[in-house]
Amino acid sequence: MPYLAIENVSVSYDGRTRVLDGVSLCVERGEMVALLGSSGCGKTTLLRSIAGFVIPEDGTIRVAGEDLTRLPPEKRATAMMFQSYALWPHMTVAGNIGYGLKMRGWKSDAIATRVGEMLKLLQLEGFTERLVTQLSGGQRQRVAMGRALAVDPHLLLLDEPMSNLDYKVRVELRHELRALQRRIGITAVYVTHDREEALTLADRIAVMDAGRIVQIGAPEEIYHRPESAFVAGFMGADNALDLVETAGGALAAAVAGTPEAARLRAHFRSDAAKLALQASGHAAGALLLPGIVAQSVYVGHGYRYRVRTDDAEVWVQAPERVAEGTAATVVVPREALLLFPARNP
Amino acid sequence: MARRLPSPGGEITVAPTVNGSTGSWRAYALVAPALAVIAAFFVLPLILSAVLAFRSKGGDFTFEHFAKAWDLYQTDLMFTVGIVALSTFLIGVVAVAIAGYLTLGENPRAVAILRWLYRWPLFIPFIVTGQIMRTFLAKNGMLNHALIGSGLIEPLAAQSLLDWRGIVVAFVWKQAPFVTLLLAGAMASLEPQQIEAARNLGARRWRVLLDVILPQVRGTLLVGLVLSFVTMLSVLSVPMMINPNSPTMITVDVAYRISTLSDYAVANALCLMSLAVAAAGAWFYLQHAKRQTLQS
Repeated sequence: MPYLAIENVSVSYDGRTRVLDGVSLCVERGEMVALLGSSGCGKTTLLRSIAGFVIPEDGTIRVAGEDLTRLPPEKRATAMMFQSYALWPHMTVAGNIGYGLKMRGWKSDAIATRVGEMLKLLQLEGFTERLVTQLSGGQRQRVAMGRALAVDPHLLLLDEPMSNLDYKVRVELRHELRALQRRIGITAVYVTHDREEALTLADRIAVMDAGRIVQIGAPEEIYHRPESAFVAGFMGADNALDLVETAGGALAAAVAGTPEAARLRAHFRSDAAKLALQASGHAAGALLLPGIVAQSVYVGHGYRYRVRTDDAEVWVQAPERVAEGTAATVVVPREALLLFPARNP
Repeated sequence: MARRLPSPGGEITVAPTVNGSTGSWRAYALVAPALAVIAAFFVLPLILSAVLAFRSKGGDFTFEHFAKAWDLYQTDLMFTVGIVALSTFLIGVVAVAIAGYLTLGENPRAVAILRWLYRWPLFIPFIVTGQIMRTFLAKNGMLNHALIGSGLIEPLAAQSLLDWRGIVVAFVWKQAPFVTLLLAGAMASLEPQQIEAARNLGARRWRVLLDVILPQVRGTLLVGLVLSFVTMLSVLSVPMMINPNSPTMITVDVAYRISTLSDYAVANALCLMSLAVAAAGAWFYLQHAKRQTLQS
């Protein structure tokens, strides 16, 4: 039996706007699942329903077999980390981290010991009596983490806890968080809109769109075998165009007038394609898209080009510099193409 | 006459001075009308009252008016301070309870009704409040009728509450909405996730109110209470209508000294005494404000 079992949960605001539409999700003990989606897809609402801040009108949420769909937040043994951290500015670091233990009736010396352990774990020793308003963003993030972990929660809920940090700190903390989660073996649900974060942190990723989970699986699976054009696009395969299969089994760009039924929707990543100046001598089966380089952008380890082909515009990455206005061919290897039946209905 | 005392709660910010002499006279010109009004209608009468309070019939400096005021009215002075202090405390309790429910209440309809309802006393003058309390708290008033009707008390046990208790009820009823208004505003400006974080860690709602919300709106609560304290100190109509006989509040005594005896000297001495009490409230507030500034 899964540790966290969400069955058919639906939520709407003001009785009309459907935010979650029959969502089901299982999380095993010790597993970290990322809810990935753009803003407004319902991922935060799902997390808030697990924490008890949103009561679903339909469906059940169980943790370790116990139905807590309608319990108030204080009765659920979950711990949530907020995007804004939501630390209490009038309390010290120790006051913040120890609060949940105080609510559980711990004695003050036991709390002090536990807070000490947490500070050590999060490398915040010496900050005990500091007010949280005197800390940097990264330190506050750690305090928020410590506050959530101190109570030894059954379930850790993280709501974009890193989106307010600098890129460098974020990348560092991502690895720390992953190592920490592995070490204490805590079950966690992590909400994010950042696919890189979801890929590095999670055991499984649930991609959400318009109040539903559209695909769930291991990071590699989601990345390499998206089940829909939406997931492909969201996971970075953002070049999209319509193709047709030619008589010889090869693929070519669909031209205007191709019937809908004959079309295939193709997605590919800009770094999986190549930019070639000659139109011949390429691997068999590769998709060739002749066009004009319309824009070039330097991106550090090479250039990113916007190439205008007959019917579409695609982005492609290449190490060498090509002048804007040059005629070139975009070569997409067969295995880099993600194909879906026609357009989304 | 009961005199309006200066309110100590307002925070005065000093604008940065304009550099150079050409700018400075303009700045003075800008505030001159306001300064003139304050000087003519507030500072001057205050000084005159103070001077009269210390001047004997012969024109010499004397403490005799204060001695007489203390002699005649020390009970009333204690009575006043006691009533106003008790009312201030109760106003704090009521305001925290209402503002707390407005912030943490989970039944949206109940919150909306309470939000609409609690402000009504703000628009009712003190004298009308006094009148309402007379019909409500008298021996044959609405409260006793209701209590007898519902069988909670025997008809013989009905008693008039038109004494110090009536004044306290009137003050709390009139001033609690004002403090609630300030307090609910301050609570609403707190980040809602701070409340959720506390509940998430197992805090029930009253714990959230005490541990997370109140410590952060303490300053606002104190401002509201000090302002109410000073306002209540200067109200004449409520004690006059509910409990005009001795012991009563200082304002009633001041009115009596002036309108019946034309004894301005003792009246001024009494006014200066209540000003001293008000100043004590202001000092308390300033001490707190200073501590807060030092902390942050």
